[in-house]
Amino acid sequence: MSKEKKSQTVQTTGHAWDGDIQEFNNPLPTWWIWGFYITVVFAIVYWFLYPAWPVGDSYTKGMGNTVEYTTKEGEVVVTHWTTRALYQKEMQAAREQQAVQLAKYSKLSFDEIKKDDAMRAYAISVAKVLFADNCAACHQPGGAGLISMYPSLVDDDWIWGSDYKQIETSIRSGRKGVMPSFSKTLNEKQIDDVAYYVLNYSSKQNDFARVKNGKEIFNTNCAACHTQKGIGNIQLGAANLTDKIWTVAGITAKMKDKDKINSIKQVIKNGIAREMPGWENRFSDLEIKMLTFYVNELGSKQ
Amino acid sequence: MSSISLTNSQPYNYDIIRKFTVMAIIWGVLGMTAGVYIALELTWPAFNLDIPAITFGRLRPVHTTLVIFGFGGSALFATSYYVVQRTCQVRLTSDVMANMTFWGWQIAITLAAVSYMAGFTQAREYAEMVWPIDILIAVTWVTYFILFVSTLAKRTQPHIYVANWFFVAFILATAILHIFNNMEVPISFFSLKSYSLHAGVQDAMTQWWYGHNAVGFFLTAAFLGMMYYFVPKQAGRPVYSYRLSIIHFWALVFLYMWVGAHHLHWTALPDWTSTLAATFSILLLLPSWGGMINGIMTLSGAWDKLRSDPVIRFLIVALSFYGMSTFEGPLMSLKSVNALSHYTDWTIGHVHSGALGWVAMVTFGSFYHLIPRLWETKMYSDKLIFLHFWLATVGIVLYISAMWVAGIGQGLMLRAFDEYGNLAYTFIETVEFLYHPYAVRAFGGMFFVAGIIVMAYNVFMTIRKGRIEKAALEEKLAAKLAKVQG
Repeated sequence: MSKEKKSQTVQTTGHAWDGDIQEFNNPLPTWWIWGFYITVVFAIVYWFLYPAWPVGDSYTKGMGNTVEYTTKEGEVVVTHWTTRALYQKEMQAAREQQAVQLAKYSKLSFDEIKKDDAMRAYAISVAKVLFADNCAACHQPGGAGLISMYPSLVDDDWIWGSDYKQIETSIRSGRKGVMPSFSKTLNEKQIDDVAYYVLNYSSKQNDFARVKNGKEIFNTNCAACHTQKGIGNIQLGAANLTDKIWTVAGITAKMKDKDKINSIKQVIKNGIAREMPGWENRFSDLEIKMLTFYVNELGSKQ
Repeated sequence: MSSISLTNSQPYNYDIIRKFTVMAIIWGVLGMTAGVYIALELTWPAFNLDIPAITFGRLRPVHTTLVIFGFGGSALFATSYYVVQRTCQVRLTSDVMANMTFWGWQIAITLAAVSYMAGFTQAREYAEMVWPIDILIAVTWVTYFILFVSTLAKRTQPHIYVANWFFVAFILATAILHIFNNMEVPISFFSLKSYSLHAGVQDAMTQWWYGHNAVGFFLTAAFLGMMYYFVPKQAGRPVYSYRLSIIHFWALVFLYMWVGAHHLHWTALPDWTSTLAATFSILLLLPSWGGMINGIMTLSGAWDKLRSDPVIRFLIVALSFYGMSTFEGPLMSLKSVNALSHYTDWTIGHVHSGALGWVAMVTFGSFYHLIPRLWETKMYSDKLIFLHFWLATVGIVLYISAMWVAGIGQGLMLRAFDEYGNLAYTFIETVEFLYHPYAVRAFGGMFFVAGIIVMAYNVFMTIRKGRIEKAALEEKLAAKLAKVQG
C-alpha cells in the first residue's frame, strides 16, 4: 500500500513522448546502490590481490600471492600469482602423488604386478587414459578394433604375439602388416579354390576336389608365411587361419559360407598393407610398460 | 503517399518497418530451424547425411548469423525506426537511405549464409563473413548510423527519449566493433580469403572484444532500447525511474567494453588482462540489473494485466531471463568458475538463456504490440499468442536445464581424478555423457521453433486481415465521397 502511495506522489520528469510515455523520477533503489558499492569493493580488493592494472610496460602484480613450484626438470620457480603458475603447481602435486606409486612400479616385473591387486588396479588406471587418448582412435575405446581395418585387442587371436615382450615391441616400434596381392599371380578359379581351402581350416567344407586343388595352391603360394597347417607365424605377423577369428576379411559368424569366401577372396586379390606407427618417442618407458600390461590384460590371459 | 489519409501514421515511414518486421520473422524461423538441426546432428550424427554443406561446422555459423543478425538485427532495425520516429515525432530523414539499410542488410545475411554453406569463412566467431560481405555490412551500418542520428537531430521533441540513447550506443558501438574486428588484408581482389591484421593472442583478444560486445551492445543495449519503449507503452504506465535509466545507461556502456577478455581465461592472454575483465564483469552486474528493475517496476501496478495481456507476459518473462543471465554471466566470468564452465555446454546454455529468454522474448512481445499498429488492425488470434508464449517458455526451460546438466557434468568429469592421481574419465566418456542432455536440448529447441512458426502464421493472417479491412474501408470512403460529390 505504502509503495502505491509513494509512486503516486513521485513526480514525473514532465515530458511525454509519443502521446503517453512518461518517466517517474524515483530515486535509485537503496539495495541497488549498495549492491553496486559491494561490487566496487569486491573489484578493488581483487585488484590488490591479483595482477590487474597495466603500468608502463609492466603491470601490478598483486599482494601476498606468491606461488612456488618445481618444474618437471627440477627447477624451483617463485613467482607472483599467475594462472600458469597455478597450473604448474597442480601438475607438480599430481606428479608427486603419482611418483609414490610409480617408484614401486618401475621395479616390479609384469608377473608381480599381476599378482598384486592394488598395483594392477593402478596400472590399469594409468593405462586406460593413455589408451583412450592415443590408441582408441583406431583400436576403439575398449580395444575391440574395427573388423577388416584395425585389429581387435580383446580376443584370443594375436597377430604379433601376446606375451609382454611382443606387445612391448608392437607399441615401441609399430608394426607393418603386409601381404602381397595375388590378383596377377593366380587366376579367378585358383583364387576361388584357395579361398575355399582357407575357409576349410576353420569350418569343414565338403567339395573335396576344390579343397584338394586349393591346398596345392596354398602350399605353393601362402604356406611360406601362414605355414602348411595354416596356423600363421607371429614373427611375420601372418594370421592364424585355423580359428574362427578373422582379422582382415570382413567376416562375421552369421554370414553364409558363400559370402565368407567372397570376403576371403577380396583379401587374396587386394593383399594387405596396414601399418601401426611406433610410439617410442611419444611415451615414456614407464608409460609403455603400463600400456603393455593393459593391452595384455585386455586380451587373452595366456 | 496514399491519396486518402486514414490515420496519423502517414507522416511516418512505416513501410521500412513493415519490411524489416517481416524479414525478422522469416530469418527467425530459418535460423532457429537451423539451430534445431545442428542440435540433432550433435545428438545423432546421422543427420549430417554425409553432405558437407549441412554439417555442424558450416550450419553453426548459419544458425548464429541468421538468429543474431537476421532475426535480431532486422527486429532492431524495425523497432528502432519505429521508436525514433514516434518519440521524435518526425519522419526518417531519408527513404532512400532507409531502403539502403534494408537491402544492404538482407543481402549481407543471405550472402553470409550461402557462403558459409559453400565453405567460405574467416573463422572469427559471429564475424565469419568473408571480406566483401564485411564491406557491405560496414557501408550499410554507417548508412544506418547517419540516418538514425540525422532523424534524432530533426526531432520536434525537446528531449531525446531514453530508448534512443540505447539505440545510438548500439549503432555506434557496433560500427566500431565491426570495423576493427574485421581489419584484414585480402590475398587478392579475386579471392575471398584474407588475413587478419592482428596476430596471435592480440587477434584472439580483438575477436573476443568484438564477440562479447556483440552480446553487450547488439543483444543487450539495443534490446533494452526496445524494452524502454514497448514496456511503458504496453503497460500504460510511466517508466519507473529516469535517474536509474541515466545511471545504468552510462555504467553499462562504459563497463561493457572492458569485459571481452573473460572469454580467454586460462589461455596465453596475460593474467592482468583477464583479471580486469573479470572484475569489470562483476561491476557490470548491477548496471545490467538497472534495466531489469526499471522494466519490472514499470510493469508493477499493472500485474493484473499478466492474466489478460499476452504481450505483458512476454515482456515480463524476457526481463526475468535478462536478470538471470546477467547474474550468471558475471559469475561465469570469475576465473575459478570459468575453469569449470569454459569449453563446456554451460556456455551454450548461458548464451541461450540470454538469446532465447531475453532477446527473442522481448522481440516477440514488442512485435505483438507493433504488428497490429503497422497494419492497422488487431492480431488475428490472441489464443495463438498465448500458445506461442507457452511453447517458447517450455522450450527455453528444457534447453537451459539440459545445458546446465551437460556443461556442469562434463566440466566435473574432465577435472575428476581417481585415487591414484590419474584422470578418472577419458575424453570420449565425457562426450558419451552428453547424449541425453543433447537430446533434451534438441527437443527444447523444437518447442521454441514451433512457437515462432505459430507466430509466423498468426502474423501472416494478421497482415492479410489488415489488407482486407483497409480495402473495405477505402471502398466505403470512396462510396461516401462519390455520394457527397453526387
